[in-house]
Amino acid sequence: MNLYLPIAEMSVSVAMYLALGAAVGFISGIFGVGGGILLTPLLTFLGVPTAVAVATGNAHVVASSVSGAVAQYRRNNIDVKMGLIMLTGGLVGTFIGVDAVRLLRKAGLFEVTISLSYVTFLGVVGTLMMVESLNTWHQSQKSGTPRSARKSGQHSWVDKLPLKMRFHRSKLYISVLPPIIIGMFIGFMSAIMGIGGGFVMIPAMIYLLRVPTGVVVGTSLFQIVFVAAFATILHAVQNKTVDVVLAAILMAGGVIGAQFGTIAGERLKNEQMRILLAALVLIIAGRMGYDLVTAPADLFSLSTAVRGG
Amino acid sequence: MMYRRISVILLLMFAFATGAIADPAKESVEADASTRQVAITSSYTGTEILVFGTVENSVQPSAEAGTYDVVVVVEGTAVPAVVRRKSEVGGLWVNTSFVRFASLPSYYAIASTRPIDEFADHAVLDANEIGFEHVRMVPAGSRHTEAMEPAEIAKFKEALIRLKQRERLYIQSDFGVAFIGRSLFRATIELPPNVPVGPLVARVYLFKDGRLLGQYKSRVMLERQGLERYIHDTAIGRPLLYGIATVLLAAAAGLTAAFAFRRIA
Repeated sequence: MNLYLPIAEMSVSVAMYLALGAAVGFISGIFGVGGGILLTPLLTFLGVPTAVAVATGNAHVVASSVSGAVAQYRRNNIDVKMGLIMLTGGLVGTFIGVDAVRLLRKAGLFEVTISLSYVTFLGVVGTLMMVESLNTWHQSQKSGTPRSARKSGQHSWVDKLPLKMRFHRSKLYISVLPPIIIGMFIGFMSAIMGIGGGFVMIPAMIYLLRVPTGVVVGTSLFQIVFVAAFATILHAVQNKTVDVVLAAILMAGGVIGAQFGTIAGERLKNEQMRILLAALVLIIAGRMGYDLVTAPADLFSLSTAVRGG
Repeated sequence: MMYRRISVILLLMFAFATGAIADPAKESVEADASTRQVAITSSYTGTEILVFGTVENSVQPSAEAGTYDVVVVVEGTAVPAVVRRKSEVGGLWVNTSFVRFASLPSYYAIASTRPIDEFADHAVLDANEIGFEHVRMVPAGSRHTEAMEPAEIAKFKEALIRLKQRERLYIQSDFGVAFIGRSLFRATIELPPNVPVGPLVARVYLFKDGRLLGQYKSRVMLERQGLERYIHDTAIGRPLLYGIATVLLAAAAGLTAAFAFRRIA
């Protein structure tokens, strides 16, 4: 069965996009990420205009992360206070991001800026995660007891910042500034890439804020819900690129996939999960980097000025 | 007897000769599209329109004679476009130059009885914007474009046509117009699934011995209908409402799945 998408202005196979949504939802359920980082490039690859893919990706992230967040909430895995603090930064970052998309697209520098910053960022984060989780895994294999990534009593520059607050659920007493700044950065990324930002946020929370791994996924999902919702609305208003029909198809597959993913994720140990996540991050970074340095098949590209573009 | 026969033949010949002079009815063309309105609904997966017409006062002895050449052009609304070119900067492939075209057809399908270059010269094709190369595509003035050589700009135009062809929005069918009988002709024009929505103009040109004898113009409406139209109008006209509705839909989908699964689990 085919459906015509009103905003993307193309006809798509419903079955294929349902399957795509389900596959992405499964991965987001396992890792507690929105899945946008996989979805947006895949949509573009299938011929959906990039601007529509980004905006609609945001809408899909809302659905899959609501589904995941509820599942996490039932397991008491959300630090609501931490989530709200990060959210304040997130909304500001999103607002800046949506405007940045407009300016970068105008200059024709959208793709390269995003790819470049992502390759760098994901490359670094992925490598760090991989090294650390492999070490932890080796040690737990030896001693037989899993070890937390969190080293108590360790002091870093993060602990020296003012405006400290107590986060009971995460068992932390830290400054509110790092969560706000991380949230802002994620909001910015979310708006320009059509992603939730879990890929970046989870490592940042684990390694910078030292939030316990069990709470990280839920808290990350909690704040992604709101950031992605805000980004969707902003894209709809400013760029008019949200395709509700496309979003509905992807969501239908995504929410179901996410539930199965959450169940699958519970069967994995912390270290295993982090190794897999690190591998995924590195694969994406590698793929993007490859595209940047290899000569494209066609040097020319065309953009017909779509609404608001 | 003999004289009489000769005189009859002469008379007939004379009649033929004067007939040709006395009836100098010029050939012209009349045409129309099979449908004046194409509806884009949620089940739209591309369609075809039939453009047909007739040559008035055709002197063509048969459909295969090839006395006339007919060109059918179906064009979408004019839109601006930007063509960008990547080049290597410090190992990375980055968009470094661009040409902005102020206006070009969003969709352009051309069908003819044979390749247009075989029967029409460039001046006529240019004047009537027949064929991709002859469509007026004027670079919008910008400092960047003005500094470019015309040959450079031509490369961008070439790329533009190639990219549009790849998207199947520029379609060329060199033998797409067929005569059925002495004066009736037809051409099938493909409207791909990704055709930009808007009014289309169908133009038909009649050529004989490289001369343009006549032309005909007709309109085809390409419109969203039903739910498609409602969704699109809401997205454009009431974007805030549309955005909030999309988010609510997403949240509802997520919650439904979460609660449905709790029952099962």
